[in-house]
Amino acid sequence: MFHLQTVTQWIDEFLRTYLTDGWALFIEFILIGVVILAVYAVLALILIYVERKICAFFQCRLGPTRVGPFGIFQSVADMVKILLKELIKINRVDPRLFRLAAYLVIIASICTFGAIPFDKGIQAIDFNIGVFYLLAVSSLGVVGILLAGWASNNKYTMIGAMRSGAQLISYELSCGLSLMTIVMLSGTMQLSTIVEQQAYAWNIFRGGIPAIIAFVIYLIAGHAETNRGPFDLPEAESELTAGYHTEYSGIQFGFFYLAEYLNMFIIAAIATTLFLGGWMPLHIPGWDGFNQVMDFIPPVLWFFAKAFICVFLALWVRWTMPRLRIDQLLNLEWKILMPVSLLNIVLMAIWVIWII
Amino acid sequence: MQGMYITMLNFIRKKVTEQYPENRGKVFPHERMRGQLVMPHNENNQHKCTACGICQMNCPNGTIQVISKKEVDAETGKEKKVLDTYLYDTGSCIFCALCTTSCPQDAIEWSTNFEHAVFTRSKLIEQLNHEGSSLIKKSNN
Amino acid sequence: MKIIDELLGQLPFATIELKDKTYTVSVPKEKLYKTASYLKNNPLLSFDFLMDIIGMDYGDTLGVIYYLSSTRFPSYIIALKTTTDDRENPLLASISDLWESAGLYEREVHDFLGITFVNNPDMRRLFLRQDWKGYPLRKDYDASPELNPVPLCNEDLEDMENMPVTEISVEGERLEHHRKLFEAEDYVVNFGPQHPATHGVLHLRVALDGEMIKKIDPNFGYIHRGIEKMCEAYTYPQILHLTDRLDYLSGTINRHGTCLAVEKGLELEVPERAHYIRTIIDELTRIASHLLGWGCMAMDMGSITAFVYGMRDREKIMDIFEETCGGRLMANYSVIGGVMNDIHPNFQRKVKEFIPYMRKMLKEHHLLFTGNPIARDRMEGVGYLSKEQAISLGATGPTGRASGWSNDIRKVEPYAAYRHADFKEMLRTDGLTFDRYIIRLDEIEESLKILEQLIDNIPGGAYAAKTKAIIKLPEGEFYQRVEGARGEFDVYINSRGDKYPYRVKFRSPCMTLVNTLKAIAVDTKVADLIMLGGSLDYVVPCIDR
Repeated sequence: MFHLQTVTQWIDEFLRTYLTDGWALFIEFILIGVVILAVYAVLALILIYVERKICAFFQCRLGPTRVGPFGIFQSVADMVKILLKELIKINRVDPRLFRLAAYLVIIASICTFGAIPFDKGIQAIDFNIGVFYLLAVSSLGVVGILLAGWASNNKYTMIGAMRSGAQLISYELSCGLSLMTIVMLSGTMQLSTIVEQQAYAWNIFRGGIPAIIAFVIYLIAGHAETNRGPFDLPEAESELTAGYHTEYSGIQFGFFYLAEYLNMFIIAAIATTLFLGGWMPLHIPGWDGFNQVMDFIPPVLWFFAKAFICVFLALWVRWTMPRLRIDQLLNLEWKILMPVSLLNIVLMAIWVIWII
Repeated sequence: MQGMYITMLNFIRKKVTEQYPENRGKVFPHERMRGQLVMPHNENNQHKCTACGICQMNCPNGTIQVISKKEVDAETGKEKKVLDTYLYDTGSCIFCALCTTSCPQDAIEWSTNFEHAVFTRSKLIEQLNHEGSSLIKKSNN
Repeated sequence: MKIIDELLGQLPFATIELKDKTYTVSVPKEKLYKTASYLKNNPLLSFDFLMDIIGMDYGDTLGVIYYLSSTRFPSYIIALKTTTDDRENPLLASISDLWESAGLYEREVHDFLGITFVNNPDMRRLFLRQDWKGYPLRKDYDASPELNPVPLCNEDLEDMENMPVTEISVEGERLEHHRKLFEAEDYVVNFGPQHPATHGVLHLRVALDGEMIKKIDPNFGYIHRGIEKMCEAYTYPQILHLTDRLDYLSGTINRHGTCLAVEKGLELEVPERAHYIRTIIDELTRIASHLLGWGCMAMDMGSITAFVYGMRDREKIMDIFEETCGGRLMANYSVIGGVMNDIHPNFQRKVKEFIPYMRKMLKEHHLLFTGNPIARDRMEGVGYLSKEQAISLGATGPTGRASGWSNDIRKVEPYAAYRHADFKEMLRTDGLTFDRYIIRLDEIEESLKILEQLIDNIPGGAYAAKTKAIIKLPEGEFYQRVEGARGEFDVYINSRGDKYPYRVKFRSPCMTLVNTLKAIAVDTKVADLIMLGGSLDYVVPCIDR
């Protein structure tokens, strides 16, 4: 297996031969920051393009075709446009909160992004409470959204933000609970260890029925967390024009936009890490030849392939289903998903104690 | 869930997007499409308009302006009304086809040209009769 | 009808005329309310559907014509007429407590002719700004731009929210006071004029309580074009192309109706071939319109894919139109006496290809959206409209039929080639959003059946009757009802024997639909308001004539 870790280790050794440990670390931090930001931005651009193309194909259209071959530079052009756009000053907003909101949203999303293990050792933050960290940081975003809705001094944004607050906080629960089932299965919260454990069987296979239930619940709840698909009430464009980011323009709007797409990817990535074995190739115990062939595919590719399958699933649902109403949305969470995931935890406990 | 099947079906179905500038002239327009008013001229630069002004009268929007002049006919020596300029403003035309259907001479007709985008409104006003054109002479025999 | 004759005979003060199924009942203005309530409430008559209120300026007097239709004898029409001599302060009794739809109609008459209706709880102007000077449909209206310059500021909110009410006390004294539209603590949200879900430039002011809707106030007139005023200066052929632009999604049907009205006046014999072609074109338009309505409703509920599919299938119809009529949206096909040109050689083949295609796609649409659990959940149990309320609101078309009100003009008073086609009138009884949704898809199915029967049987002959170069209608009033895609579309033409009409009025089916929205959306959620709007499927240019 070729791990990207060899590259990072080489950089680390190279720096340490020339610099003291402190300086080497300092430079490494900067490098990591730059790399994360770059990957974040590039991924967002790819995702935007992919979404537009896939959405178009679902709708019997062609999607972007003009900028570059098959329109692959469309999102780059859009990015340039959004960077050049004027930041409109809006009367009677709270300017400090207004600006802070956009940053909060994107910071929350970047912080989560850093904790995702793309490959062995390619993970900016590897805590022993990694799952907790993910949950905690990703729910910071809701503060940004609420602030955006409040600070914009607009009734649409206000309704959007309130809906968003209610929705994100409720779905956080089943999201967390379904992750907890996996933590029970693994016995650890450290993301790297969880991935290592799945070398011979991904959690979704290892955990049996409770893990599958948890996976489905996580996909639904996670989908709701990203404010997309049938759960896009906070920005329901036919009702609230654009929901909480109605008043934003230029790059501030771009931040929300980026964060939305990246959150979609992050949810897919967490699902991949915890349920689908992260960067682990598909190994079937006993089939050594098969396992060896699978190992030839670099783990990074495995990771992205799995994540993109999850993203595709999300897009497929998003472009098929109509939107839920707010009461139905909350009913779904509090009356179905929550009790089911609580029961599921019990089921997982039984599974872990007696079956494995 | 059947809906997801339908969307997947369309995912692999042939796409219906018209790639407009590339397919120009291939798919559309159909020959009856009312794109723009034209006045056909024959090879001798002659048209059929007698400047009677019926089209101008019938036009609901004042899109057509027929400016005529008096000219002495060389053969009979009588003074006769002939067409000087025929102005047509695409910008205010609503393509009701009352001008073409009411024209007793069939001097004007529709072309299928639909690409009307220009930078200023004044460019939309066109003179339909060509420079130096004249009425088709009715053959005496 | 004998019984109507008898019962109308009980009104001694009224003068009654009968001309092919239309009774013209003229009453003095004091007896207006009494007559209207008699016609509505008498169970043997039950003229309970107020089609339209037409304000008239007869020159020296102002008048109002109420067009009533009965659910008992749906093909009979009563035109209830009254006039007032007072041009300065014309006062008439309001019938807004008899019919829910009358309120808006009276506001329209008030807006354009300055007639004040006593006891109408809301006598604001309907289309024009509250500070507009003059009444445009009066014959002595001064249209000079100095009088009403282009306004450079927003309309005063105070003006928009103050509803003037005129009452007459027992002593005969005129009392005027104002009612407030919203309470002070209401959370009022503007939906529109620029909003993705208002299907045009409609302005809904909505008072919210959290997510619940307390009150809706629709504001019209943002794209009012004064078509009725324009018509008074246009010849009859010129009027026709304006009708395409009323409800642009059922443009050919509107045009067909206007042609029929003019032909009625001319007593012109239209060739059978033209009738068939018009009918086929109408049904294609109806399918296209319902497809768009279906798609828009799905989009309002968040399923953009369904909208694109609807548009994709509609495109096929638009191509057929382009080939035969020369226009896509503005087909401009019917003319007085027939159709503009004969059908294209490909027309029959293309329509025949389209029918099985549409059937297949309908199945897919059902799978995609009708069977979707989220969609079902949202449409279930929301927006109940009872049959009585539908009639009182004048919610014609698919909306009324979803509530069980049989109001299909194609059946009631078959025009053109509908009498040769065998089709069912789609009726449902529940009157819920889901019924309004599904009835459109069912009607597409029925329209396909009509197409199937007619397309092979187009008779030969001329496609248009010969008409004079200048068309002059004989003196009189001509009223024609046709079934538009979203409801009954009526044309009223008052001619004084000129080549220009004296007064033209179009009944907008959409105005009553917005009124219906106002009635059924109360106590639902914001998301439901949008969905209900989609299920009623109104088109704003139809309101803002």
